[in-house]
Amino acid sequence: MNGLLAWLGVAPFFLFAILFLLWPSSSLIIGGFQDPAGNFTLKNIGDLFTPSIMNSYALSIQISAVTAIAGALFGFLLAYAAILGGLPRWIRTALMTLCGVASNFAGVPLAFAFIATLGRTGFLTALFVNVLGINIYNLGFNLYNFWGLALTYMYFQFPLMVLIMAPALDGLKREWREASENMGASSFQYWRYVALPILLPALLGAVILLFGNYFGAYATAYALTGGTLPLITIGIGQQIAGNVLYNPNLGYALALGMIVIMAVCIGGYTWLQSRTARWLR
Amino acid sequence: MAFLELTNVRKSFGQVNAVESFDLKVERGELVSFLGPSGCGKTTTLRMIAGFEMPTDGSITINGADITYVPPNKRNVGMVFQSYALFPNMTVADNIGFGLKIAKKPSSEIKKRAEEMLALIHMPGLGNRYPYQLSGGQQQRVALARALAFSPQVLLLDEPLSALDAKIRVSLRGEIHSIQQKLGITTIYVTHDQEEALSMSDRVVVMNNGHIEQIGTPFEIYNFPKTEFVAQFVGTLNTLTAEVRDAADKRLVVDGQEIKSAHALDGAQVGEKVTVSIRPERISFYGEIQKVNTMNCTVENISFLGSIVRIQVRTGANVFYMDTFNNPFLELPKIGDKIQITFSAEAVLVLRQSA
Repeated sequence: MNGLLAWLGVAPFFLFAILFLLWPSSSLIIGGFQDPAGNFTLKNIGDLFTPSIMNSYALSIQISAVTAIAGALFGFLLAYAAILGGLPRWIRTALMTLCGVASNFAGVPLAFAFIATLGRTGFLTALFVNVLGINIYNLGFNLYNFWGLALTYMYFQFPLMVLIMAPALDGLKREWREASENMGASSFQYWRYVALPILLPALLGAVILLFGNYFGAYATAYALTGGTLPLITIGIGQQIAGNVLYNPNLGYALALGMIVIMAVCIGGYTWLQSRTARWLR
Repeated sequence: MAFLELTNVRKSFGQVNAVESFDLKVERGELVSFLGPSGCGKTTTLRMIAGFEMPTDGSITINGADITYVPPNKRNVGMVFQSYALFPNMTVADNIGFGLKIAKKPSSEIKKRAEEMLALIHMPGLGNRYPYQLSGGQQQRVALARALAFSPQVLLLDEPLSALDAKIRVSLRGEIHSIQQKLGITTIYVTHDQEEALSMSDRVVVMNNGHIEQIGTPFEIYNFPKTEFVAQFVGTLNTLTAEVRDAADKRLVVDGQEIKSAHALDGAQVGEKVTVSIRPERISFYGEIQKVNTMNCTVENISFLGSIVRIQVRTGANVFYMDTFNNPFLELPKIGDKIQITFSAEAVLVLRQSA
């Protein structure tokens, strides 16, 4: 009886996973190998290797990698300062709360917030012009290009990194540092030989998560650039629901390509983790 | 000159004095224990020797060199932590060789030293294991090997056995002691376990509320405690309230019964209330033996503690214990029996109050 109740308890999860993960994924994989009439074809997969689509993948990977690595770096340093920097406890609490909010602020509202702040007529842009006499757009800044989009995504990437790394940094025992100092190690040597290797699995996992977080993002990029940056997610949107480029089966194949890239990333992460964390149970 | 010397060391955290007026001289090769309850300042003192805490006042020297403000990584002091603190990402051999790696020793020398250390701690062939693959006792032995591998001037052990179960604790303390004796390394051992301190140490520093109560050999600490705190903290002790009858003749009265002490009453006045102490094992049944002091009392409780039997007796307002060795032919009184007990004048110590 207890066993039956336990199965009933987890049933909603499995139902949800089947309806919203397995079923759509299977349709997507099958659709990627079909033509509009439903016949089997490899054309969609072959089209993935055309220069424009390859460029889209490359752009998405580049911008995802930039935001993941930069977000990981800034987020790690911020988490380090808050957790191990000896700051008052309230700073940590405030930072965690802010990061919790910021890491969930995405999509069209985020794009609007950045346009209103750093757009051509944004508040900060105007403030720089009026107070400092500096027009950041004349200095080369542009919110609507690769770096502008990367900056916008950093808004939720590095808070996410803070949230992920805070417990990992908490897990570093004070005695490890003291033991290494006791044996003559400098702070740099402690980080090189002890702390970073211990944190590496968590760091790698966080970078992969940040990469995936951006790689699948659509709304902010679309709202901010209006499709001028040919990201792969925007390409999928155009193929599935567009007026000009309507080819749902190619859209499915593009999504399948994304799944393959993420699978390669996660596979690489698993391999690296198994190499770096042999000491884990 | 002593090898390790702490002179008038004080450490305060804000308004709280964690350690004060701490003076200690440790000879080369000596094992000195800091013994005291939690919060007495023993670990803080150890951490000041290691360099993890800076003294507010005073100085610390090792082999004549002032290390008071020398950073911990320049002190050449080995430390074993309560929680082992092994690096989980390194094998046992890498943990042991860490100090030598930092000192940029050749890898062949590091490997040889790690093997020597593994043999010393009776764990040969386990160098490739990770800490999680070892038991608590093995981990602590590796921590000891790691702290010794780079040949430190002083070895510091911060309650190294308190996370282990009782049997392993006893066997490991013997092992630590024999390794210390073999290497002749100057060692400071922090513990709150009196048995550990008494069994391993050349000298014991009993601490309370941040200051030293008494420094002495285990024999002195146990048999001649100078303060009430030491007497109470080390071993089981009966403390009785007594009244001075004749200070010069060292005669006292406990619940209307006169007893005699062999120790000076330090200028106490007639009629003055003093605290006296008697170890339970120094009290016998009158008749088996006859000593200078005898007292009438009533048996209140009898406890079997394995090798000894502890009998609780009452003499008016004072309750105290006597211990007798257990044997199958032991004839014990019953609860409520009126008995006579006896003890020597040397067993009666008059205690001064703790500072």
